[in-house]
Amino acid sequence: MSQVSALTEGNSDVRVTLAALFTEFLKVSLCSFGGGLVWARRAVVEQRHWMSEREFADTLSLCQFMPGPNVIGIAVCVGAKLRGAIGALAALSGFVLIPCAVGFVLGALYLQSAKLPVVHNILDGVSAVAAGLLIATGGRLLMPHLGRPVAVLFAALAFAGVVFTELPLLVVLLGLAPLSVAVAAVQTGRA
Amino acid sequence: MSSHSAPVALAMHLALLSCISFGGFPSVLPDLRNFVVAGNGWVTDQEFTNFFALAQAVPGPNMILLMSFIGWKVGGVPGAIASAVATFGPPCALYFAAYRLWDRFREAPWQMIVRRGLAPLTIGLVIAGGTVMARTGTGWQGAALTIAAAGLMIRTRINPLWILAGGGAFGGLGLL
Repeated sequence: MSQVSALTEGNSDVRVTLAALFTEFLKVSLCSFGGGLVWARRAVVEQRHWMSEREFADTLSLCQFMPGPNVIGIAVCVGAKLRGAIGALAALSGFVLIPCAVGFVLGALYLQSAKLPVVHNILDGVSAVAAGLLIATGGRLLMPHLGRPVAVLFAALAFAGVVFTELPLLVVLLGLAPLSVAVAAVQTGRA
Repeated sequence: MSSHSAPVALAMHLALLSCISFGGFPSVLPDLRNFVVAGNGWVTDQEFTNFFALAQAVPGPNMILLMSFIGWKVGGVPGAIASAVATFGPPCALYFAAYRLWDRFREAPWQMIVRRGLAPLTIGLVIAGGTVMARTGTGWQGAALTIAAAGLMIRTRINPLWILAGGGAFGGLGLL
């Protein structure tokens, strides 16, 4: 079945070093203005080939169903996949330790100095771009599913549930998940 | 409440919140604000807003940063570290355990079905996240910038840092 090969195509035969996990997630974290998902997908799928597009989306699904910051969950899962517990720890440390220390010092300095309006304007521009990057990342993740109209429909429903209603994320997820999984089960049974 | 126990109480509350923060930390922000501003008076409303804006602006795990700013205000640098660990520790343990379990049944037919069902929802939510973020932005110029950025990201292999820098320059020149 083609789906199986798509899921295992991330290269798991080459042993990834702990240092590589640490530095890659350090980079992801340092780049992630506005949201780390854009950078996590770019690093893990496009540049390092640690996971396939589908596997990345699956891991993200898992993380979205759990409490906590999803992107940190991806660091933990990628580390766990490649090198087990110690790998998860290496990826997590890269993601959290140095960026938090740097951000904390920068922030503390800023809080104690005057606030410039130009900084505020720059941040507005950065945040508009960050939104676009996130939308594009979703678009890229959707590409392997474009052949399944039902998948596109459920993606659109989840999108609409968040954007056009005031429902909490968990309610949208729990409402749509059983339907979407049931449809997938029927389709798989027929295939 | 003595000054010694305040950081401990904050860390315990954060650990609790992090375990129920389905959909990421923004979902528990209202509760957090109640707890530290109205409930305990550790930070003022204005400080909370400033911390939030600042945490968004620096790269890195911004919700952890927000918690460490609050922890810093409540108990200095040790308070900041305790708050950060309380924020990401419990969810990380959960992620690891769940991934292990998930991975063990990777080839099971039911899991393939669940994966096929969930992936589209996840993707829809990612796009929604970007859209919601764009809506809080500034006018049609901001929207145009968002669309241009999405186009560049999809169509080209430009390092997104350049796109972000371009957006920052746009805003800095007062074009938004």
